[in-house]
Amino acid sequence: MTQKHFVIIGNGAAGNRAADVLREGDSHAKITIISDEFFHFYYRHRLKDFIVGNIDETSLTVRSSEYYHDKHIRLRLGQQVIKIDLNSQLLYLKHMELVRYTHLLLCTGGKPRMPEIHYRYREHFTSMITLDDAKHMKQQLPAVKRMIVVGGDLISVQITKRLLNAGIEVVFLVDRDAFWPLTFSDVIEKDFNRALRRAGAKIISDDAIVNIEKLGHMAYQVRTRSGENLECNLVGGFFGLVPQVDFLVGSGLDIDRGILVDEHLKTHFDNVYAAGDCAQVYNPQLSNYWVSIGWGNAVKLGEIAAHNMLGSPDTAIRPPINVLDYEGIEVKTEWWQEVS
Amino acid sequence: MIQAADDIVIKICGSAGDGSISAVEILNRAAALMGYHIMNFDAYPAEIRGFGKSVGHTRISRSVLLTTGKYTDCLVALDDVHAITELSTMSKRGVLIYDSKPPQYHQEDQAVAGFIEPGMIGYGIPLRELSTIAVRSSRSRNIVALGVLAALLHLQAEYFETAIRKRFSAKPETVIDNNINAFRLGFDYTLQNVNKYDELDFQHHVYSSNRDSIIMSGNEAAARACLDADLRLYAGYPITPATRIMEILAKELPLKGGFVVQTEDEISAAGHVVGAGFAGARSLTATSGPGICLMSEMINLAVMAEIPSVFIDSQRGGPSTGLPTKTEQSDFNIAAFGGSGDSPRPVLAPTSVPECYLLTRIAFDLAECYQTPVIILMDFFLSNRFEDIDLNQLNSNVFGRFTPQTAPLKDQPYLRFEVTDTGISPRAIPGMENMFHTVTGLEHDERGFPNYGKANHLKMTAKRHKKMETLVRDWQETGTFGPEGQLDVGFISWGSSVGAVMEAISLLNDQNIHSGGFFPRLLSPLQTSHLEVFSRRCKRIIVVEMNYTGQYANYLQVAISKRMERFTRVDAEPISSEDIVNWIIKDES
Repeated sequence: MTQKHFVIIGNGAAGNRAADVLREGDSHAKITIISDEFFHFYYRHRLKDFIVGNIDETSLTVRSSEYYHDKHIRLRLGQQVIKIDLNSQLLYLKHMELVRYTHLLLCTGGKPRMPEIHYRYREHFTSMITLDDAKHMKQQLPAVKRMIVVGGDLISVQITKRLLNAGIEVVFLVDRDAFWPLTFSDVIEKDFNRALRRAGAKIISDDAIVNIEKLGHMAYQVRTRSGENLECNLVGGFFGLVPQVDFLVGSGLDIDRGILVDEHLKTHFDNVYAAGDCAQVYNPQLSNYWVSIGWGNAVKLGEIAAHNMLGSPDTAIRPPINVLDYEGIEVKTEWWQEVS
Repeated sequence: MIQAADDIVIKICGSAGDGSISAVEILNRAAALMGYHIMNFDAYPAEIRGFGKSVGHTRISRSVLLTTGKYTDCLVALDDVHAITELSTMSKRGVLIYDSKPPQYHQEDQAVAGFIEPGMIGYGIPLRELSTIAVRSSRSRNIVALGVLAALLHLQAEYFETAIRKRFSAKPETVIDNNINAFRLGFDYTLQNVNKYDELDFQHHVYSSNRDSIIMSGNEAAARACLDADLRLYAGYPITPATRIMEILAKELPLKGGFVVQTEDEISAAGHVVGAGFAGARSLTATSGPGICLMSEMINLAVMAEIPSVFIDSQRGGPSTGLPTKTEQSDFNIAAFGGSGDSPRPVLAPTSVPECYLLTRIAFDLAECYQTPVIILMDFFLSNRFEDIDLNQLNSNVFGRFTPQTAPLKDQPYLRFEVTDTGISPRAIPGMENMFHTVTGLEHDERGFPNYGKANHLKMTAKRHKKMETLVRDWQETGTFGPEGQLDVGFISWGSSVGAVMEAISLLNDQNIHSGGFFPRLLSPLQTSHLEVFSRRCKRIIVVEMNYTGQYANYLQVAISKRMERFTRVDAEPISSEDIVNWIIKDES
């Protein structure tokens, strides 16, 4: 009999929890985690504190290599899956290696969302999703006196507060569409603006960027619809996340905003599952799909997917609505939790 | 462990024919031109056949180097399957450079990039593709890889171009241009496409240097010493790792009026050497363990007949044919004691490439001064490693001046083996007027005539040993290293292991473990007084050597009462400073 090979694409909360459950359930199977990042599994929500020096890199790490060694989990870091052949159960890695799987779990997470309106000057935006982004921003910050933050997702709020505390002037250009995937209601906007002002940011609302010009090294001019020209050292673009599924296009998987999976987190291919931010999970009661966000939910989905991969049926249940007090802003959310 | 951002161990690994070794040669030359120190030790299989693994291994540093480094900071994979086997030597934050566009997909676990450990950094570069652009074939992947290394490690490109020109100077200009083009493509591609994540960084520094330096291996240094010492006859039978000495001398020695004879076996080679020595010509052979076994009878003859002759034993893993391309220090016993009867002879052990030169030169003086065979113990690691040598180093002599005595004309009959206070008799070369004498392997009297008398044997045996006592008295170098005063740990080591021990001493002193060393270059006869002085300063004495039983430690232990601990290894690799330090720290804690 062929040895089972559970391959997990993604080294985040969902992928790691799934690996744990798979190892607990099957001590003989081969388990591999593949991630295109070079870094160990890290606390993504601590990056905001890392960039301003509140914590060091070691405080970001959730698990070291010894953990995987002890659990006999093969960790492939810095390796990118560029194509999946679902019929042959083959993964094509960018470094030109083929990897066979018997069971596949996709936990590819999210990538920065870039509204089409900003595509023209997108290379001028700085974002912060990965540790690599954070390291880059941390390197730049000593030379930053003024930063313009465009958007409105919660990462932008977190970063703004840290930057202000670090003595950096922040101009916040609120973009209602950026509060994605949640609805930016009038109530939230009010709370949002108040919280940011209280922290010391200059708020510009009812305006929008129309152009960004690079004037030199770490020197930008941002022009707004109202004709204002703002100069700064960095322009942060924070428009929320979209699932990281580009490499799956054409694979045969059903993809909408994320990978479409049933309530057991299985795609319509046998032995292929998705969990975490990249999954759009079907809810039979609603006859519709929902998307999860946040660490705690990713962990839960990873666990459920692993149970199903092991042959123990488990169902993802839509979570209750939470009221989240987030940096002083109250947001009603279905799947939004952070652990510290 | 990465030693420092500008102290970097680099390996280029491929199949035989991929150019790993020549790429490292160019890298060394370029680094030396920039004023860096290098130490290079390549590895290749014992069998002579194509497609075996070939690894160019070098360490480049601003500081003087004592070892080639245990862990690889940067591995360039020209062949994935071979490179996978090198990953176990990578440092935890090491860098892997691999071909991102091989001709086809690798099967699972056949791609080196698939084994990148967490913490390591991998850079995929289309080495083959860039080489094809440069020279219309993949054969310049090695030179493309040099371009990648230069850009990634922040080394100045122009020095590589000079080194490439030098390396291919005998080739047509198009070959040089193609290689420089391949280098440039790798360099530019990396600058334009690679985001650097690693910490390895020479920071574009070029150190102006007044050093008159040259890159040389231990074998090359020994061969050069032979030429400078006015060697007249080299006789030898090829054997790894000593063959290179013969290859160099076969080219160079006839140009200086000397002779090179490839004999039918090692016994014959030793016979030639002893014969030439008897005739008054400086002569030498170089061999390895299996060869020195065969030569031991002739060496014994040279002891008994008091004939100057020099034998290099470049040790390798044994016994018998053993491990031809692996290093070991397990020939001390045969070098010092091999042969019948009481057969004293000096045994020297260089600890570095410059010392391969210095001690080979001195060996000729010793052989003539004390009328004896002299054995130089090198080993595979020392023979084949390359170091950048300051030529001024080759003029220093801390060991002593050893001037041969010639026989004065006297009225009395000439006594070739006259018993003197020093044990050294006036030597005459056959054919000298009024100096007729007999030489034999039989026990003999002062004239050289066979004499089996009890008193004569005692007298002549004592005379032969007396020469060694005189040598010990004349030998000026004390062999001590490190801080003065009392030591927590005193190391004794010899030959090629000394570099690692020196490095370990430095690391231990940094950790407040007061350490020092005693590294005799004259292994035998033993400098007992120096050893006693050193041992009195040490709380612990540890003898470090690459053999199983602690051959040198056993020899020393007879001379002093303090117990000696043994740090011995026979794992076919040079001993590393990290291994020594870890052993001590584990022991001390």
